[in-house]
Amino acid sequence: MKKILALMCILLLAAAMVFAGGNQEEAEDTIVEEVEQTLTFALQNEPDGIDPGITNNSFASPILFNVFEGLVVYDADNSIVGGSAESWTISDDGLTYTFKLRDNLKWSDGSPLTAEDFVYSYLRVLDPALGAQYTGMITDYIAGAAEYYAGTADADSVGIKAVNDTTLELTLTQPAAYFIGILGMWVYSPVNEATATTNGDKWTLSADSYISNGPFMMKEISFGEGYEMVKNPNYWNAENVKLETLNFRFIPDPSTALVALDKGDIDGSYEVPSADLPNLKATSDALQIIPSYGTTYYEVNCSKAPYDNPKVRLALAMAIDRTALIENVLQSTDNPAFSMIAPGYSVDGVAYDEGRSNYGLSATADVKGAQAMLAEAGYPDGKGFPVLELSYYTNETVKNIVEAMQQMWEENLGIEVNVSTEEWAVYYENIQALNYDVGAMGWGADYMHPMTFFPLRVTDATYNNSGYSNPAYDALVKDAQAETNAAKAMKIMRDAEDVLMADMPLIPLYYRTSPKMMAPYVKGWTITPLNNMYLSGAYIEK
Amino acid sequence: MIKYIFKRMVMMILTLLIIAVLVFFLMHAIPGGPFTAQRELPAEVEKALMEKYNLDDSLPKQLINYIGGLLKGDLGPSFKYPGMRVNDFIREGFPVSARLGLITIIFVLAASIPMGIVAALKNGRWQDVLSMIIATIGVTIPSFVIATLLMYLFSHKLGWLPAFGFDKPTGYILPVIALGGYAMSFLARLMRSSLLEVMGQDYIRTARAKGLSEFKVVVRHALRNAMIPVVTVLGPTIAALLTGSFVIEKIFALPGMGKHFVTSITNRDYTTILGITIFYATFLIVMVFLVDMFYLIIDPRIKYEDGN
Repeated sequence: MKKILALMCILLLAAAMVFAGGNQEEAEDTIVEEVEQTLTFALQNEPDGIDPGITNNSFASPILFNVFEGLVVYDADNSIVGGSAESWTISDDGLTYTFKLRDNLKWSDGSPLTAEDFVYSYLRVLDPALGAQYTGMITDYIAGAAEYYAGTADADSVGIKAVNDTTLELTLTQPAAYFIGILGMWVYSPVNEATATTNGDKWTLSADSYISNGPFMMKEISFGEGYEMVKNPNYWNAENVKLETLNFRFIPDPSTALVALDKGDIDGSYEVPSADLPNLKATSDALQIIPSYGTTYYEVNCSKAPYDNPKVRLALAMAIDRTALIENVLQSTDNPAFSMIAPGYSVDGVAYDEGRSNYGLSATADVKGAQAMLAEAGYPDGKGFPVLELSYYTNETVKNIVEAMQQMWEENLGIEVNVSTEEWAVYYENIQALNYDVGAMGWGADYMHPMTFFPLRVTDATYNNSGYSNPAYDALVKDAQAETNAAKAMKIMRDAEDVLMADMPLIPLYYRTSPKMMAPYVKGWTITPLNNMYLSGAYIEK
Repeated sequence: MIKYIFKRMVMMILTLLIIAVLVFFLMHAIPGGPFTAQRELPAEVEKALMEKYNLDDSLPKQLINYIGGLLKGDLGPSFKYPGMRVNDFIREGFPVSARLGLITIIFVLAASIPMGIVAALKNGRWQDVLSMIIATIGVTIPSFVIATLLMYLFSHKLGWLPAFGFDKPTGYILPVIALGGYAMSFLARLMRSSLLEVMGQDYIRTARAKGLSEFKVVVRHALRNAMIPVVTVLGPTIAALLTGSFVIEKIFALPGMGKHFVTSITNRDYTTILGITIFYATFLIVMVFLVDMFYLIIDPRIKYEDGN
């Protein structure tokens, strides 16, 4: 009896080994999948809302780009690819965009998502009662939208039409080669009509009513604490979404986030404390330096003497040691800027900034050149130059830059510089009212196209707070906007930039990079130079 | 007595109304508005928003509307967070702050009063010196420094305690010490000096002369009187601890009320500034009132006569 038992045991063991051997490959696969597919990422700021139709708050971006999906998205190479739209065609006159939506698109609650939903969502943004903040991104481009928003036209006259369930047609007021990039902004995300109507402005406040259409859907909203999201089984590409859970935790102090990352409580952080950057650069394998499509520059009041003289502005710009600012003051990973338009855009492999001039500027200070330029403007050795009022908005980093600039100008140009600060709301009103000499400013792009920068110096444009006006520049920008051939448009933009920078109506400091923390075992994530974080392809591999 | 309480109640409501009106005009006097954001809004959008929130009405009309809502307990909508009401902020944030505050108060009382008593009774000896060294450190070092040091030591170096959040009960330890450090030290010093003063008074000598044990002298006769200054500061201290600290909540990533105090002002979120100020003021006034009532219990010499 005992022998039989022993024999059976041996047989069983052998069988087990055989089956185990036969399944070895599968067994390895399961081990990979056994790693818990949960990503916890720290955000430093709570957005002021997560209704994609309403908010223009950049803090909402990590949430909105993962729970919603508009017609197009950016891929890992920063190119626009289909999102909810499978493909699209643009009419020859560049005015009509026809989108073919993917088949069987669904909302996270399982209900069908059709072209009509997009029409509803975009018209919703155009209802003044909604209080949408990114309305301009629709009214500036879509035919009839501005009139509809103003209440002088009806919905039928707006160039947003559902041809059938899977075909959406958008008509523009004028050709804009970069419009497809604008469609990548979250204001063009679809919003579920049923929940938005039933719950009114409360639909974004609870996970149950927060219906979305992206790779993830909301599971829990805890105000002040974070968002818990799970994979959306109704997403068209759900089979390729590997993360099961995506947590965004608000950890306002980036230093706390670093400690938590070190302890393994979180896997990444949106912000990195600048004081820790030099150390992290040397020691951390979680530090990720993302090029950012933005420029930090200083406004110069071009409407006020002596700053109305381009030579004075050029002298000021030449006297700045950008390398010292970046390496010693900021201790950051940014790059010296000689123009308003950040690099990063390209057409058919030709980079926008290829062969671009330095416009007389250099990475380190050109002291002699700057002094000569100031003398030419009538202020040899800074004599007779009025006290320069250098203003900034209250912010520790900006304060350090401003103090360094003050020292550079005083030493290099022999002029007197007075520094003053106000909190943003007050500061910005003064800048808009041209009530300043030189002031801290910058621009982070909305879409991956240089045209996001050009309006900053167009006469009387909303964001032109410099008092600068040049009809030649305005005309070239207009031409570039209307040009449907991307390569030609790029050429015109370069001409416009040359015209602009010859006048130096700003003091470029640096092109931004954006340091983030992401643990090395997190793979497959994408963060674009627009700071759009796409985690649909992310996974944990430990 | 009842008349006195009734009078205090009326005064409290009046004080709150005055605070509401003052804050209302003060915040409208600061330049900028709720929609002066990093990204400037086109004029027509700003106009639509102003209409949506009735900010285009005249100030007196806005004030009357606001007070009307206030009397019904409605603190109005947040201008910054669409769909959220100021009541929501308080409902979400206050329990977190209050929970942390309550634990902190227990910690503060449990540590400071014995510390002060021991220091006073062992005046000049090592127990006194040690207590006062700890108390001086607590009073002089700001809470954010204490918080950072604690986090560096216990979360980063030793890895014993979480660096953020209340996910685990141990998450309370560091914020409680950092938040309570100042109050604990201040109260310990106050307790010590107040007890020392009382112990030098005639009636204590009388008590001793009666042959009472030292324990009875201290607990029955000295402590009750020595507690009066402590109770006086305890009221506002409790109010401050319960309503949250911006700095501590920020460092330890706690979703409390503290941040709304500060961010609503930079955001010019008018209703939130008002609502939170009124909430805080109510809390403070009620605490002060409770302290006044508490005097009756601990000091028989204090009486609130009607008509006084």
